[in-house]
Amino acid sequence: MNNTIVSYFLQFEEFQTVVTKLSEITGANATSLVAFVIFAVAAVVVLGALATVGGLGTYAERKISADLQMRQGPNRVGPYGILQFLADGVKMIMKEDIVPRHADKLTFNIAPLLCMLGVMATFAVLPFSSGFTMTDLDVGVFYLIGVSSLVGVGIFLGGYSSNSKWSMLGGMRGASQIISYEVPVTLSILAIVLLAGGMSFGTIVSAQGAWPHQWFVLHNPFTFIAFIVLFIGVLAETNRAPFDLPEAESELVSGYHTEFTGMRFGFFALAEYMEVFVVCGVVAALFLGGYNVPFGLGEGTFLMEKLHIPAIHAKGVGQLLQVGSFVSKTLALYYVVIWIRWTLPRLRVDHLMTLCWKYLTPIALFNLVGCALWMFFFHGQSIWQLLGHLGGGHGGGH
Amino acid sequence: MFDQILFILSAVITMGGALAVVFSNNLMHACVYLLASLFGVAGLYATLNADFLAATQLVVYAGGVVILMLFAIMLTGGVQSTVNKFGIVKVPGMGNAKTYSAAGLAAVVISFVLFKILKNAAAMPAKGQMAYESTVEKLGGLLVSDHVLAFELSSILLLGALVGAAVIARPRHIKDDV
Amino acid sequence: MSNTNLDVYMPVIILMILAFVLVGGALLVAKILRPSNPTELKQTEYECGELPVGVAWSNFNVRFYVVSLIFIVFDVEGALMFPLASIYKKYNDAGAGGVVLATFLLFIGILAAGVVYCWRKGDLDWVRSFQTPAKNNQRTQGVVNE
Repeated sequence: MNNTIVSYFLQFEEFQTVVTKLSEITGANATSLVAFVIFAVAAVVVLGALATVGGLGTYAERKISADLQMRQGPNRVGPYGILQFLADGVKMIMKEDIVPRHADKLTFNIAPLLCMLGVMATFAVLPFSSGFTMTDLDVGVFYLIGVSSLVGVGIFLGGYSSNSKWSMLGGMRGASQIISYEVPVTLSILAIVLLAGGMSFGTIVSAQGAWPHQWFVLHNPFTFIAFIVLFIGVLAETNRAPFDLPEAESELVSGYHTEFTGMRFGFFALAEYMEVFVVCGVVAALFLGGYNVPFGLGEGTFLMEKLHIPAIHAKGVGQLLQVGSFVSKTLALYYVVIWIRWTLPRLRVDHLMTLCWKYLTPIALFNLVGCALWMFFFHGQSIWQLLGHLGGGHGGGH
Repeated sequence: MFDQILFILSAVITMGGALAVVFSNNLMHACVYLLASLFGVAGLYATLNADFLAATQLVVYAGGVVILMLFAIMLTGGVQSTVNKFGIVKVPGMGNAKTYSAAGLAAVVISFVLFKILKNAAAMPAKGQMAYESTVEKLGGLLVSDHVLAFELSSILLLGALVGAAVIARPRHIKDDV
Repeated sequence: MSNTNLDVYMPVIILMILAFVLVGGALLVAKILRPSNPTELKQTEYECGELPVGVAWSNFNVRFYVVSLIFIVFDVEGALMFPLASIYKKYNDAGAGGVVLATFLLFIGILAAGVVYCWRKGDLDWVRSFQTPAKNNQRTQGVVNE
């Protein structure tokens, strides 16, 4: 069963009457048309929101780094400099667009597009709340791994097309780094798919609970390690420090986007910051309980039963709370990502590969086997449930 | 309605990409077009309700194989120009009797297969809209029951690929040096 | 109903089209607004202020290729394991998890053997000497002495 944002709306009678009305007017089944409109609006809303988050990400990066280094950071444009990203955007658009003479024009144009394409296609399965997931594909996580690999191709082509030595080195490093770290990331995700019994984000999130002891990160020791492996892996996949070798500014000038100016560079940067949000969201959904809200507030049952609020309002409030839960977890992880960047020094390229192939991949394989065995021997119960049984057994109760 | 749009879009991307691959002079551009074509194939799988296969297509081909090809091109030094280092624009051996006969044979086989497919498609009754259902669980069920041997054998195949890749690329030690 | 047909893929297509529109639109707006006076020197590739020598498209080390080959093996492995992982919970709850577990462990075990082999043979090392270790040491020492 694929839940989409449309099926969330269709559960309300008021909405269904609109659809039937429209069907009568147009003389055909208007469900698809209505679905298209809802999807399009949702897509624009999500894109707008995430582009703003991406823009604010650059601001947050500078502000947090300033904080960590006891500086001021941007503080001129708007209150506390919060409009800095808009000023930067305007600057990017006004910049002269310089294409190197010996560049490969076609790939030079396509590279930023591929990065944006790969990141934006992942928005479709990002689970903001139980209702506001654009489409909860059955192959959700797997699809996300697939489309986000376009970013790697984009980075490689960005490096290749400029015909600059720095870019070329950055692009090669970037692509090999991204594909290498995809291995531990995939294996860690597999462990969670094992526990949740499905690849769709809906299944994975609803297999967890609202409280931290129900989250997969604290489900058993193996998932805790898998969480750390996945987090390190996604840092590398998004080219964030300490894995920002593709754009290592002290050795490769600016890496794969050395020759990109103006808006083309802007798209690389925007794609990177949006991808950080997306992967933080994925980590939050897989390990930190996603959009779950306690007391049944998310599904609206609490409000409906205790306070007798009509279903459509109760559910609406529930959805908002779920979005809040998801976004706050994601932004907390976003903060950690930035924090790590300004704390740790950059890795050397051979260390990077050693870390991936000799540490993370074997650990992730071990975790996967561990999770499978844990499922088999403890019937999928978390460590807290087992402890509860132990305590209950001694107390005589259940 | 949307099924048709998805199908036409995927088909156009697949065919357009494939044609562009063939007619492109630049190896790197051909790789980009191939990426588009592979994406289109994923879309075609999606229209056939094979959602897992579509995602696998994206993960393995768009993510893995295309990058592998890009690296393979860079291994040979990239596309410095369409003229190779011998100053020959065309690939040598293109357009002699051997290649023409091979191409002719291939064309006959392909047209025969196409004819078969078209005949079957014409004979098939028009179906209504297919119900969407997940293929993942069925696939998983089959992999542990009917096709468990094939599944395990595939891991041996992958093992062979892994070891083979490593062995081929291993640097040879200079024997008389020790 | 939207959840019984291919409408579930609609957002994917919409988002991809939006990506094209966004990138194209922004570049178009930029084209109207920005100045454009390219010069010969401006359009050279950056090479630390010197005029660039040759092109950047040169032969790259084989290790990038090897990494991507090994990656594809793991990629296919992951793709094969995903359906198994998705049904494991259901089978396990029904008491038939042992079959899936055995299949799963055998599959991982065979591949783990490959990883162990590559590791022992040093194929996972990023930096490998093409010479024997003794000669390599001499070389590096020579460089240091210079």
